[in-house]
Amino acid sequence: MTMSRQGVQPTEVIDRAAKLRFRWNGKRFSGFEGDTIASALAAAGEQIFSRSMKYHRPRGILTADYWDPNLMVQVGDDPNVRAGHRLLESGMDVRSQNAWPSLNRDIKAANSLLGRFLTAGFYYKTFMRPQWLWPTYERVLATFAPGGKIDLDTPHAYHDKRYTHPDVVVAGAGPAGIEAALAASSAGASVMLVSHEHSVGGHLRYSSAAADQAALAELRTALDASDVEVLTDSTVTGRYEDNWLGIVQRNHPIAVERLIKARAKTLVAAPGLIERPYVFEGNDRPGVITSGAARRLVNLWGVKPGERAVVFSANAEGDAAVADLERVGTEIAAVIDGRTGGSISSTRGSSRAVDAVVADGASIGADLLVVAAGWTAPTSLLNMAGDRPVYDPAAARFFPSDPPSNVLATGGLAGDAGLDGLRQHGAATGRLAAARAAAVRHRLQSRTARALPVDGDEPAWAPDERAPLGRDPHPELYRADTHGMVDMSEDISSKDLVAAAHEGYDSVELAKRYTTATMGPSQGKLETVNTVAAIAEARGETISQVGTTVWRPPYAPLTLGALAGRMFEPVRVSSIHPWHEANNVSIIQAGQWLRPDHYGDPAAEVRNVRENVGLIDVTPLGKLDLRGPDVPKLLSLLYVNKWMKLGVGRVRYGMMCAEDGVVLDDGVTGRLGEDHYMMSTTSSGAGGVWEWVENWLQTERPDWQVHVTPVTTAYASINVAGPKSRELMSGVCEGVDLDAEAFPYMTVREATVAGVAGCFMWRIGFTGELSFELHVPAGHGLHVWEALMEAGSDLGVGPFGLEGQRVMRLEKGHFIVGQDTDGLTLGPSTGLGSLIKLDKDDFAGKPELAWAADRSLPMVVAIQPDDPDVVPEEAAQIVRGDTNEILGRITSSRYSPTLNRSICLGQVEADLAAGGTKVTVLLESGERIGATVIDHHAHFDPAGERLRG
Amino acid sequence: MAGLAGRLRKRPPKYSAAALAWKGLRGQSWPRVWRDCDLQRSYDAVVIGGGVHGLATAYYLARNHGMTNVAVLDKAYLGSGGSGRNTAIVRSNYLTPEGVAFYDRSVHLYEQMAVELNINVMFSQRGHLTLAHSDASLRTMHWRAEVNKLGGVNSSVIGPDEIKKECPSLDTSDHPRYPIQGALYHPPGGVVRHDAVVWGYARAADHMGVEMHQKTEVTDILCEGGDGPDGKGAGGRVTGVRTNRGDISTPIVINCTAGWASLISTMAGVRLPITTHPLQAAVTEPVKMFLPTVVVSGSLHVYVSQTDRGELVFGASVDPYANYSVRGSLEFTEGLAGHVLELMPGVSRMRILRQWSGLCDMTPDYSPVMGFTPVDGFLVDVGWGTYGFKAAPVSGEQMAEAAATGRTPKLIEAFALSRFDNGELVGEKGAASVGH
Amino acid sequence: MLLVPCPNCGPRNSTDLRYGGESHARPDPNTASPAEWRAYLYLRDNPAGWLRENWYCASGCRRWFSIERNTATNEFRDPPLPGNKRGGAA
Repeated sequence: MTMSRQGVQPTEVIDRAAKLRFRWNGKRFSGFEGDTIASALAAAGEQIFSRSMKYHRPRGILTADYWDPNLMVQVGDDPNVRAGHRLLESGMDVRSQNAWPSLNRDIKAANSLLGRFLTAGFYYKTFMRPQWLWPTYERVLATFAPGGKIDLDTPHAYHDKRYTHPDVVVAGAGPAGIEAALAASSAGASVMLVSHEHSVGGHLRYSSAAADQAALAELRTALDASDVEVLTDSTVTGRYEDNWLGIVQRNHPIAVERLIKARAKTLVAAPGLIERPYVFEGNDRPGVITSGAARRLVNLWGVKPGERAVVFSANAEGDAAVADLERVGTEIAAVIDGRTGGSISSTRGSSRAVDAVVADGASIGADLLVVAAGWTAPTSLLNMAGDRPVYDPAAARFFPSDPPSNVLATGGLAGDAGLDGLRQHGAATGRLAAARAAAVRHRLQSRTARALPVDGDEPAWAPDERAPLGRDPHPELYRADTHGMVDMSEDISSKDLVAAAHEGYDSVELAKRYTTATMGPSQGKLETVNTVAAIAEARGETISQVGTTVWRPPYAPLTLGALAGRMFEPVRVSSIHPWHEANNVSIIQAGQWLRPDHYGDPAAEVRNVRENVGLIDVTPLGKLDLRGPDVPKLLSLLYVNKWMKLGVGRVRYGMMCAEDGVVLDDGVTGRLGEDHYMMSTTSSGAGGVWEWVENWLQTERPDWQVHVTPVTTAYASINVAGPKSRELMSGVCEGVDLDAEAFPYMTVREATVAGVAGCFMWRIGFTGELSFELHVPAGHGLHVWEALMEAGSDLGVGPFGLEGQRVMRLEKGHFIVGQDTDGLTLGPSTGLGSLIKLDKDDFAGKPELAWAADRSLPMVVAIQPDDPDVVPEEAAQIVRGDTNEILGRITSSRYSPTLNRSICLGQVEADLAAGGTKVTVLLESGERIGATVIDHHAHFDPAGERLRG
Repeated sequence: MAGLAGRLRKRPPKYSAAALAWKGLRGQSWPRVWRDCDLQRSYDAVVIGGGVHGLATAYYLARNHGMTNVAVLDKAYLGSGGSGRNTAIVRSNYLTPEGVAFYDRSVHLYEQMAVELNINVMFSQRGHLTLAHSDASLRTMHWRAEVNKLGGVNSSVIGPDEIKKECPSLDTSDHPRYPIQGALYHPPGGVVRHDAVVWGYARAADHMGVEMHQKTEVTDILCEGGDGPDGKGAGGRVTGVRTNRGDISTPIVINCTAGWASLISTMAGVRLPITTHPLQAAVTEPVKMFLPTVVVSGSLHVYVSQTDRGELVFGASVDPYANYSVRGSLEFTEGLAGHVLELMPGVSRMRILRQWSGLCDMTPDYSPVMGFTPVDGFLVDVGWGTYGFKAAPVSGEQMAEAAATGRTPKLIEAFALSRFDNGELVGEKGAASVGH
Repeated sequence: MLLVPCPNCGPRNSTDLRYGGESHARPDPNTASPAEWRAYLYLRDNPAGWLRENWYCASGCRRWFSIERNTATNEFRDPPLPGNKRGGAA
């Protein structure tokens, strides 16, 4: 085979005035604008483009389009680029992928000598012994992994996504697809026409027939004048539920690849047909190409595919290829007609010779063998819509069976006709698509309760009155009387498939899995039907009996970058955050929140709170504003304890359990007014509890009058803690008596703080110190914080972070839901069983909590290691003596700067929960230490004198 | 057991390099991996589901308990369900002592499998990293590591520097939105060629006389004496199964299905704590090897490994709503790609080649349901969520013991159906929500 | 992407909603036996076909509603019932 550039063709897409220079395996080459990488290389006489996966056989152009399995190359840091499709750009660094040391001399080609041993699935039958050698075998096998190279420094370049809601999306821009788009648009539908190729026109693009070119010009003109949105070099990659479509746009000016998500009201599938290779000995040699490849090379890029050709033709496309080849001066050595029983048995010849051996054994000298053996219907989009296409032996391809009524097929997928017939069917399909889209649009709009009124009744579902396309007879040509490659990506031959079927892997799915046929980068576009044919042959059945595999999305591969799009990971910070950042804060991530962990020395922060006063930003604390006369009933239903008699201005701690009795959340809720409450939740539980509350209200107690508003971020929350907190607050508060008797522990008051009205002030805290928890309208958070800092400067006020708070809450023995409890921790296990009021009529989880009272449950307890300097890890297991029997675990642990010793919370089995029990803790180091369970959860101030102060 | 000898086949050739070479030289073909049999009227036990669990159960019934008059029924082809759709990850670094003991046995059986079944299942113990991106998840990793160590399982928490050493392709910097803070490292974890496990069990069971019946769909389970209609339900016993190829009488029916577990159990009048959700997976085009370990991120809902063929295989968490359709969704691949690029920004130009999904039977406590049911002779091996493949060998071994002896083996006591009556669930929920 | 027919917001992408699972009545907590209560907690019909189930319009109106969907084909059957997780009549 010797390809070369010829004179200007009327149909060509190259701009011969625009020369582009690029490199191929380090050497300089040039091509023209409009060339694909492959056409430029072919024009320059390149013959070998890749090496096959297993046998490292040399491979050349096969189909010269996107689906060509032999044209996978590396372009810069971009692996597995389809050289048959990717347009040439100036300066491209193109390399072959699967060859070493070079494309023309590949050491692993020696494998082809071992072909008879390396049959499909051979690796299942060997390398089992010795077992210890398998990792080594595996590393060697892995060197055969095909494909390009990943450069891990590749940046995640710019990708964006687009959402669109067209009435009609037409997938495929051949004559039928274009007509469908035009007709739908004329009928008033908004239409998106998606062309996989770089320009619209489908097979008309590379037809030299005058009538085809005239039609193409007419269609393009009509498109330009229409409202149809045309996307080129774009593919509908998937059809998902309710016509949700993924469309990848590869030629977006900014995004490397752009994912378009379209909710189409109707989808027209018009992908055309894909030419199927023929299986015979040597069918994968460079110089054996499909008729479509020949026609594209000649008509699109002005490349003569060879000097002397044998053409095996079973259809009009093959016949047209003969004419195209003759026009550029390729000598036609022979035309073998597959319609009249002619066949090709094998190819022979060294290097550039591709002699064709025909049925009678005669060899015809040639350097090019063009094959037109039939078509594969790429029914992928129909499969994704649930259709199971059926095989028609008379036409030798699959046809749609019964796709959903909002997915319509046209063009070659639907049948055969002359150009006019295809156009008429396309137009009829477009009108039908538009009519059905109108009905869908009406239905969607009328069912949106708050939308504007929709005029008229819903249009009737338009019946399918299209005149069906015919089906041209075509011989069933899958394999000649010799064996050849079925899957060139995977190096799987028909012989492999037959052997697999005889071994018992005789359904398509089993054979596919066993041999890996159709699993490669061509996604089975070229291979599936030949695979089915080989299995059918081995089983002595028909293709219809064997059936086909299910085509899965995507229709064409798309990059992870396009799918990922831009990173949209929200970050939440409080309004006080700028102050933290200006004050040496160390940040900790808590879900989406960025929170102050500490400001340099958490132990000092603890001591300052214990001795003076500290401020912590607790804005992420979940807050729900509850209003209505039935709030007390709601609280009684959701919390395990009682709420009916909570007075105005009072605050109460509550624990929530799920219906299975497992601890769900906890927090305090206060009564701000007659019918007005504020519930606080854990920070991580804020969203979940809100939904849970809504669920109970809406589904179990819809008659209750309660209005729920989440106000977590409506307020900035500051806890002022420490013995001097009252003194600090007195300097900034107006309108509230801070005296211990007037404003005692577990009460709430509304106040003006630092001039900000409408603040709520709670006498509660997690630290065990005298505390005031302020909820300040969020916009004033920073101001109030700064005012507190200023007012407290002579009291020694300082900030403290989450770490300090965690130490202090542990000193006080407050458990944290989700850390000291887990997914099985029942309410009574927290040690707060006395909160659970089983005499209430109903509350979430009541039956389980009642039964739990009789069960022996693990308990949350406070534990102190006997050696006060050893802090067990939060995960250290509590074990029975020297055994490995697990009796519990440490759930929280810290060194207490207040007590100067290590302190813990943990879960232990019930019989270890009594104060004074000695337990063994297994440290991560493997060391076992003694520890003692203490009487109550609080390591510090168990009587709570400080916080009541 | 009548007629057993007659149905035993001639010992087939062993797989080995020498046999490959010999057959290659002589141009000989290999015999069928398993027979096509006529369906008998009666069996000592019927296993429903020809996936790894059903086949392993049948294999161990024959191998460990001498029960060879056993039929495995599958409505499609062997391995057509979850067995061929999973991402083939094997590990034993679970959170609960019962989970660790159970999966440790499974890893052990996988290690022996290639030799025992005489088929290369390509168990690649390349190491398994479960990444932690938050304090809370790091704490859970420590918890798992401690429980693992006590159960004799090799597992420890490592920091970002060591992670980078084991798996250079991961971004261990503080650039990501949720930087990697540490990982549970589990060196024996890895991947297996899942189809080979299916075929290996089928071939070995076939050699011992077990019959595999493909395209044989169970349409009903025949019972007597139960408290429901047609003698089904609690207190009754199994007498046989009805299939699209006729009725079979048998005293033991083992439900080893996934995705259809509820439907099959309903045929015996047994209600299960199961909701069926699709689990999706995807594979990229191949590139040269660059990802040496299995990587899992629970917080980012993704797990990924690179096959020996060079493809990246991904999975995520189950689809959000119950569903028996396996068509896959775009939002799955979008989310997956986003999370993968958070872990490895360098792979943005890799292309997704194919996506698929399988059905997962989710239980409330992320643990399976194994053993006896209120219907005598009807056993279940179901509720395998997203972690069934890795448990196949041990499940088969234990279920076979239960069926053959009539007693629940200790290793699966914690997974009994009765735990839902007693409110004694298994504590894997925290660790296993995306635990692959 | 499934379109879920919210009674207030109209058809919405399923990612805008939270799935609430099979609709089932809550037994009387004061009289339920352990078996009844745990059947409510854990046991599910899980049919491959029509199922009455709950959805929460999390990114829209934040209403819970109940609707029938075919779990094999993902078709919805009208109309949704607001605020009811018991199944049957609202």
